[in-house]
Amino acid sequence: MNEQRKDILDMLAEGKITADEAERLLAALDRGLNEPAPVADARPKGKAKYLRVVVHTLENDEPGRVNVRVPLQLLRAGVQLAALIPPQALEKANAEMAKSGVPFDLTQLKPQQLEALVDQLDEVTVEVDQPDAQVRVFCE
Amino acid sequence: MPQTLTVRIDRPAGRSIRIWIPILPVLLVLSPLLLLAALAALAACLVFHVNALRAFGTGWRIFTALSGTRIDIEQDRTAVLVVLR
Repeated sequence: MNEQRKDILDMLAEGKITADEAERLLAALDRGLNEPAPVADARPKGKAKYLRVVVHTLENDEPGRVNVRVPLQLLRAGVQLAALIPPQALEKANAEMAKSGVPFDLTQLKPQQLEALVDQLDEVTVEVDQPDAQVRVFCE
Repeated sequence: MPQTLTVRIDRPAGRSIRIWIPILPVLLVLSPLLLLAALAALAACLVFHVNALRAFGTGWRIFTALSGTRIDIEQDRTAVLVVLR
């Protein structure tokens, strides 16, 4: 039994893949194809529903906890607010940012781009670990 | 759209407050005030040259997307939980 077949059978035994997936992988091995092993916890892209922010703190020996769950649909609706900002306000904001040394053109920012950014949040996980605070931002 | 708002505040010494608010009946009761607020928002949209229809549409989308929001904060022996279902 070669190493790849053994790995497939180990994954099946550990429940990481189903019998159908194991059979397909073994068949692909027999055909000499390189099929990537399925990841047990893979989910289709863009299927995350919530943005979670979890914060644990320790202040003066007192534990603190913040747990926020926000629907991603709310973020998508929120970015559409950007489309409502009048052009004059955007230009004023651009001028102020340029004065502060940030040459960013807000008029070039489109709601579709922000929505695409929200869609990609599915793949983002941010973890900050300090002695007195742990922060985790992720989508589920 | 969210149907209920639940707020729970747990304070030290075992005292806690729980409030359960049905959103739609409360909105119906507050509808005259909401109408005034909508008129004020419409006026603001006209003053600032914002598309009123789009603004109301975005506001409605934000409101309906609130369902599922959960905020849970705990500090010392005080905890606050806000859930929109």
